[in-house]
Amino acid sequence: MSALGHYIEEEGIATVAISLIRPQTENTKPPRALWVPFELGRPFGPPNGPAFQKRVLLAALRLLEREDGPVIIEDFADDDPRGQPDPAWRPPQVPAAAAGSTAETLAARLEAEIPLLQGAHDRWLAQHGRTTVGLSAMPIIDCGRYVADWVRGKAPSSPRDGFSAILILRFAVDDLKAYYLEAGAAGAPKPSSRQVGDWFWNDTAVGAAIVELRAIGLASADERLKAVLGNFMVPAVRVAMMS
Amino acid sequence: MTRLTSLPPAQAQRLAELECPDFKTRPWVTGPTLSKRRVAIVSSAGLVVRGENPFRGRDADYRAIPAVTKPEELLMSHISINFDRTGFQEDWNVAFPLDRLNELAADGMIGSVARTHYSFMGATDPVEMELQARELAGRLKQDQVDAVILSPV
Repeated sequence: MSALGHYIEEEGIATVAISLIRPQTENTKPPRALWVPFELGRPFGPPNGPAFQKRVLLAALRLLEREDGPVIIEDFADDDPRGQPDPAWRPPQVPAAAAGSTAETLAARLEAEIPLLQGAHDRWLAQHGRTTVGLSAMPIIDCGRYVADWVRGKAPSSPRDGFSAILILRFAVDDLKAYYLEAGAAGAPKPSSRQVGDWFWNDTAVGAAIVELRAIGLASADERLKAVLGNFMVPAVRVAMMS
Repeated sequence: MTRLTSLPPAQAQRLAELECPDFKTRPWVTGPTLSKRRVAIVSSAGLVVRGENPFRGRDADYRAIPAVTKPEELLMSHISINFDRTGFQEDWNVAFPLDRLNELAADGMIGSVARTHYSFMGATDPVEMELQARELAGRLKQDQVDAVILSPV
């Protein structure tokens, strides 16, 4: 991000970067940056915290009026008030895994689980008026079926022209994650990302299936499959918890 | 979970030690007071308007996001899985603060908001994005933009 600022500023437009990883910003030395102590993915802090977000945005923009650069790197002092878990939050109920799970039972459990989340996801839509599901351009049931077939070892072909089967798999997984995380956060108590992530990765069949996809990729002789499934399925923080 | 110390040590080390471009120049552009600036958002979140092709991997190009885009029309197609998406799912301003910019313009804190905003894919080597970033600067100038807020994830 800081590098983009360097290029754009060299072309004559003033820039200010939000910095999430201070060492990277210190190394790149952009004209101006505001480091924020927020979780990766949240450069302006809490969702639905307009006053807080505006403070972050203004603190960054005001660096444009400073005359003591380059380089200016300032810190935003306050933590994200939504970064902490909400003890009132309860996740949607999903059936527990049976003992002795196989690829087929996991795939079947995944396909049976997705419709159970529809009510919660409908509540999310009613509450927020939007969904971030859509990268694969497939209905969510089809995303589940596509992922389930990969878990079964079928390696289905791509249903979309111009998109490889592996790319569609990645987008289908992204859509399932979005669907579940949105469904999991429906309602008034809002979970922290850690809370809803714990539910997704520990309790749901889709989470277990994505972990299985990673294992399939790491065991594959296909280097592309190994790279995509090994690196772009399960977050590093979850891999660390599993090991 | 807010700082590198909150991440698994291997991930934190990789992020902290990621190779960054070693620029030989230190550009610095001044301008009018904030209340006269026209501001654009440039994100590296792999944002795309629904219906457009998502970023496929470490693409070096960028996508235009018209200021009239509605929250329900914006998707995030960043390749990395190692950052939170639940904030953006609940409120796009977490990563794309267009509502906040519009409020600042309405309050007279900034001059105006750009007609178009932009997104790159942040996992791409920044050196590979140089040509596109410089070309983008030309488009920003055509829109009279004189301030860019760079938003990572």
